[in-house]
Amino acid sequence: MTLAGRFATPLVRALLIALFAFAIFGPLANLVLWAFAEKWYFPSKLPLEYGFTFWQRVFSPRGNALASLGTSVWIALLTVAVSLAVAIPAGYALARLKLRWRGLILLAFLLPQAVPNLPVYVNIAQVFYRIGLAGTITGVVLVHASHGLVLAVWIASAAFASIDDSLEEAARNMGASAWTCFRTVTLPLAAPGLMASAIFVFLESLDEFTGTYFVGVPDVMTLPLLMFNASMGGNYQIASITALLLLVPSIAFMLVVERFLKADVLAMVGR
Amino acid sequence: MTDSTVAAIAEDAIAAERAPRERRWIAVALVAPALLVVGLFFVLPLVLSAVSAFTAGSAFTTAHFAKALDLYGRDLAFTVAIVMLSTMLIAVAAIAIAAYLTLGEHPRAVAILRWLYRWPLFIPFVVTGQVMRTFLAKNGMLNHALIGSGLIEPISAQSMLDWRGIVVAFVWKQAPFVTLLLAGAMAALERQHIEAAQNLGAPRWRVLVDIVLPQVKGTLLVGLVLSFVAMLSVLSVPLMINPNSPTMITVDVAYRINTFADYAVANALCLLSLVLAAIGAAFYLRHAVQQNTRS
Amino acid sequence: MKLRSLLSIAALGLAMAGTAAAQTTLNVVSAGDQNMVDYVNNYLGPKFEKMNPGVKVRAVGTGPGDAGSQKIFEKLEAQQKAGAASWDVDVAVVHQRGAATMVEDKLLMPYRHDVAAGKLVSRDSAKNALGANVDGYVLPMFHSQIALAYNPDLVKAPPKSFAELAEWVKKNPKQFGYNGVKGGMSGVGFVMGWVEANSGMRDTLEKGPYDPKAKAAIDKSLESLKAFNQYVQMTPGNAGTLDMLNRGEIAMGPVWVDMFYTWMADGKMNPKVKLTLPSPGLPGQPMYYVIPTKAAHPDLAKKFIDLAESPEVQADGIVKQFNWYPGIDPQYVQSKMPPATWNKLFTDISPADLSSKGRPFPLSQYFTDIVEGYEKVVLK
Repeated sequence: MTLAGRFATPLVRALLIALFAFAIFGPLANLVLWAFAEKWYFPSKLPLEYGFTFWQRVFSPRGNALASLGTSVWIALLTVAVSLAVAIPAGYALARLKLRWRGLILLAFLLPQAVPNLPVYVNIAQVFYRIGLAGTITGVVLVHASHGLVLAVWIASAAFASIDDSLEEAARNMGASAWTCFRTVTLPLAAPGLMASAIFVFLESLDEFTGTYFVGVPDVMTLPLLMFNASMGGNYQIASITALLLLVPSIAFMLVVERFLKADVLAMVGR
Repeated sequence: MTDSTVAAIAEDAIAAERAPRERRWIAVALVAPALLVVGLFFVLPLVLSAVSAFTAGSAFTTAHFAKALDLYGRDLAFTVAIVMLSTMLIAVAAIAIAAYLTLGEHPRAVAILRWLYRWPLFIPFVVTGQVMRTFLAKNGMLNHALIGSGLIEPISAQSMLDWRGIVVAFVWKQAPFVTLLLAGAMAALERQHIEAAQNLGAPRWRVLVDIVLPQVKGTLLVGLVLSFVAMLSVLSVPLMINPNSPTMITVDVAYRINTFADYAVANALCLLSLVLAAIGAAFYLRHAVQQNTRS
Repeated sequence: MKLRSLLSIAALGLAMAGTAAAQTTLNVVSAGDQNMVDYVNNYLGPKFEKMNPGVKVRAVGTGPGDAGSQKIFEKLEAQQKAGAASWDVDVAVVHQRGAATMVEDKLLMPYRHDVAAGKLVSRDSAKNALGANVDGYVLPMFHSQIALAYNPDLVKAPPKSFAELAEWVKKNPKQFGYNGVKGGMSGVGFVMGWVEANSGMRDTLEKGPYDPKAKAAIDKSLESLKAFNQYVQMTPGNAGTLDMLNRGEIAMGPVWVDMFYTWMADGKMNPKVKLTLPSPGLPGQPMYYVIPTKAAHPDLAKKFIDLAESPEVQADGIVKQFNWYPGIDPQYVQSKMPPATWNKLFTDISPADLSSKGRPFPLSQYFTDIVEGYEKVVLK
């Protein structure tokens, strides 16, 4: 390597990282600026005045932002619980047991993600009003769970598929029952993949508002609803503030899960 | 993932013969609750709306599809182009980042990158649309930064709020998701092969292409298929960046409903969009089968 | 310590359950901007609660534009089809098209003659929504108007008519922006104004009778709009037009007057930006208060609307706080406030201009013909 090259490499590396940081944080800076901008219009390139007026509006006692945030997080946690509860057995069966139409079953879970869902939620609302699930947390959780389930099932099935058969066989040969074997050998080995799917399901739930509106409102109100209305109406300040608020539980959940996992978070996925 | 899906399809027939009857029932029972959730709370309502796409009064008709294709055929093509281009760019970005995280030799750079790339994961689609709209506009922050750093002349600043804006927003939001999956899979690879190749003096890109990528192809495909269908069904990003013609199908669906209360054509458009998603998913399944027969 | 905090939480929970039981919740669901929700939450709600102890007002937004009204329609329709005994919306705030569909589908109850403020409204739009008879079912919360917003630093002499505007864009390409027909009603309204100005059938379009043969004339005027569009910047939505004005990327564009003032109040619009109404005019429409057929608390809902339509609230809430045109007849409101505040409403657009150039939207069938014509003629 030439002398110039020796200096050039770190320089190029630093430059690339700086560019990447700009690509990630440039748009985010916009978000943060709008959250504190009181006055910002042409021809000014940066806000003319900063302040907390809009924070006061979001946190006004009757605005219910904090209560909505609490509801959103509670719904997201329940959604994770429900999704994992049904995805673990399903993932196990899809990965480990002989099953007809396995490919089709896997694709069925993809459906809720694959269709523009506005017209479908109109029908869901009707069904839920009929069976009394409208306006309940349960109803919202079920809608969120069906939407996020593909992540849980696909990733869980991948996690189970990647576990070496011989470990289970050894346990069975030592006389463990199928349930004990699953509980003490298979499940712990699949845990990292399952936790990873939990992150995605959690984030899906915190990003959802159409289903929440049709099934939950006005009895169940979440922060993404406010964020969506504000954003579509061009209330950039309020939308930015709610987005920043939603970052808190998302990142906290991610950190908790990662801490719990230690390393190789997604080691198993897709194999 | 791939292997399991694959095995499924290839072995379906044999499996049914071989497996003892009761074990098959156990498998069905284990899958049933999850299928029930999706079936009751999504597939059933979906079928209800699909019916309206095929009926006028109570008679069967294909007129809604004809109208949908006539008015929005171009938007369908536009949607396919946008989503495919975005998927490809996401693949490139995810491979590049994940590869550097796995093979990078500069620990600090790896650490910085690992910390950096995830942030967009936590930004919802609608906010992504909003920030990109103010970031990529003609007098937006990107152009201000480019002009400020002397890279472009003020006169040549242009707005990216067209198909480019949608692609940028999609890649920005979805690439971290695929990267997260991919980096996880790469981290779990056995290091011996990689190290052996590196000891033999193979350049890093060869190690990536010949050794790492073939082993994580399945994960990559899963991430890409999930991103592909998610982008097909997102409304807020195209609505905020470019709802004008040509635009994406989701905008047309919302427009048919909100302006005309025309659920029939809206549902026809949804089904057409579903067909596109199915093509994406089928591509993945086919690849998975090929993988299986080869190994 | 632990036990005590647990007990106190339990006590708090009980207390909350207790208050919840004693309270009646009035659900107000509003289409339109977030500030309309804030208006109910922070201004109207507390006022109403003070007058009616034991009642809690809860306001929810469904998003801006006709999409917001459509979502309310869908929710009510779902409850109707499900046969629900009482519905979870007591008062809704909707746009004209929404109200027309809801009346047609029997989703609303007539109430205007049950409230005192019903007599304060004489405008045609309180009885007629795009040709549909909504008499008795609606009262206007406020009236909004589409107008051209322009930056006087960049546009010294704003065009006075659509013909002048067509000339202006040729001299100033890409300086005028609007949002087509898919991004919200300010763009749709501009298209309506264009067709009324260029087809010479303003009265037919607004008053009927409907004649499908008019399509030819409509399509012809849309041809000229297609030529006009070459010099125009397309914007992403109602808020998108304001957004591009905010960054100075366009110098002029059609906006909803109420949204425009909100943007200004929120510091997102240069205070120098002005409004103008080109002749022969642009459409406007009221936002309506309506009560669903099976509202859980119809009597409270009527009381609530009566308060909202009272001259005091219209003066103090709608005109003074937001600078919006009042929903009830102006003479009742004007007397409740100093002339300076009242005149602020007409800083850019005079009352005379407003009454002659503030047009209703065309009849529903024509509306559909024009929008679909736009898709076929202009977009293809």
